[in-house]
Amino acid sequence: MLARIQEQNAELQRARDEMEQHVIARTAQLEAANKELESFSYSVSHDLRAPLRGIDGFSQALLEDYGDRLDAQGKSYLQRVRAASQRMAELIDDMLSLSRVSRGEMKSETVDLGALAQNIAAELQSADRRRQVEFTIAAGLLAKGDTRLLRVVLENLLRNAWKFTGKNSTAKIEVGVDRQNGQPVYFVRDDGAGFDMAYAEKLFGAFQRLHSSTEFQGTGIGLATVQRVIRRHGGRVWAESKVGQGATFYFTL
Amino acid sequence: MSEKIILLVEDNADDEELTLRALKKNNIQNEVVIARDGVEALDYLFGTGAYAGRDTSNVPSVTLLDLKLPKVDGLEVLKRLRADERTKLLPVVILTSSKEEQDLLNGYKFGANSYIRKPVDFAQFMEAVRNLGLYWLLLNESPPSER
Repeated sequence: MLARIQEQNAELQRARDEMEQHVIARTAQLEAANKELESFSYSVSHDLRAPLRGIDGFSQALLEDYGDRLDAQGKSYLQRVRAASQRMAELIDDMLSLSRVSRGEMKSETVDLGALAQNIAAELQSADRRRQVEFTIAAGLLAKGDTRLLRVVLENLLRNAWKFTGKNSTAKIEVGVDRQNGQPVYFVRDDGAGFDMAYAEKLFGAFQRLHSSTEFQGTGIGLATVQRVIRRHGGRVWAESKVGQGATFYFTL
Repeated sequence: MSEKIILLVEDNADDEELTLRALKKNNIQNEVVIARDGVEALDYLFGTGAYAGRDTSNVPSVTLLDLKLPKVDGLEVLKRLRADERTKLLPVVILTSSKEEQDLLNGYKFGANSYIRKPVDFAQFMEAVRNLGLYWLLLNESPPSER
C-alpha cells in the first residue's frame, strides 16, 4: 500500500516536472512571437509610411509646379492620389493602435467608467459645439480593469455613438449599467442611424464597415479594437440595434 | 541669420527632396548640409572622415535627425553627440516616421530637444517644417560656444 502511494507520488512529481518544462518552453515561444510582432508593427509604422509621404508629397509638387499644364480632370486625379495615400496612412495608424491594445502589460485596478465617459463626452462636445447631444451618464460605474485600455473602449463606443447620431438634429447618448444574472453589463446607447442586425456578426471584424465611408467616415477598426480589449479582460461585447432606431453596445468585464 | 546651418540627417532620397522643398517653399534659405547615414552625420560634426579638417566650431543651429539610418542609427548618433563636449548642447530635433512610445522615450532620454513625427499629408509636413524653421532658426537662441 505504502509502496504504491510512493510510486504514485513519484509519478505525480514526474508529471508535474514535465508540465513545468512545457510551460517554460511555451512561454519562451510566446515571448518570441510577441517580440516578432512588435518588430513587425515597428517596421509597418516606419517603412510603410515613408513611401506614402513620397506619393502625397510629389503629387502635391506636381499640382503646384505643373498644375497649369493639367486640365481639371488631371488635377482631380492627382487630388485622388493624395486622398488615397492619406487614407492609407490612416489605415496603418489604426492597424497599429489595434495591435497596441493586444500588447503590453495589463493592470487590474478600480476604474470609474462614468468619469472616463464624462471626460470623453466633454472632449467630443468641445470639438464640435454645433451638435446638440444630450449625454446621460450613470454615476458610480465602477469596474475592475486597465484604465488605459478601458478608456480606449469607451472612446471608441462614444465616438461611434457621436458619429452615427450626426445626421440627427438632436441626439441622446446614454452610458449605464444593467444587471444580468447578478453580473454587471455596461452599455452605451444612442438614438442614431443604427444598423441591420443581419450584419451584427461583421460588426467586430477589423476593417469591416456597415456604412459607406461617404455616409459615415471611418476605417472600421474601432469595434475590433473594443472587442480585443474586452476579450483581454475576459469579458464579452455585443450589440442590439434596428435601422434608424439607434444602437446599444453592451459589454461585461 | 543666413549663416545658420541646418544639418539634415536623412537616408531616404524622397524625404530629403520633400524636406528641401518644404524649406524652400517656406522661404528658409539657410545652408542645408545633408548626411545620408549616421556615420556621415558624425563625420560632419566632429570633422572626421570625408569632413576631416572642417572647422567644427561652426556648428549647425539645428540638426534634423531621422531615427532609422544605415550604419549608425539616429539614437546612437544622438548618444555620441551628447557624450562629446563639442556637441553636447547642440539642438537636435528628431524627425521620423515612428510614433512608437519606445522611440519617443528613448529620443528624449538620450537628450533630443524635440520630437516630430513626419506627417504623410504634405500640407501638414510643410506646416511642421515652417514651424521648425521659425522656432529653431529665429526664436531659439543657440547655446553659446564654450571655446
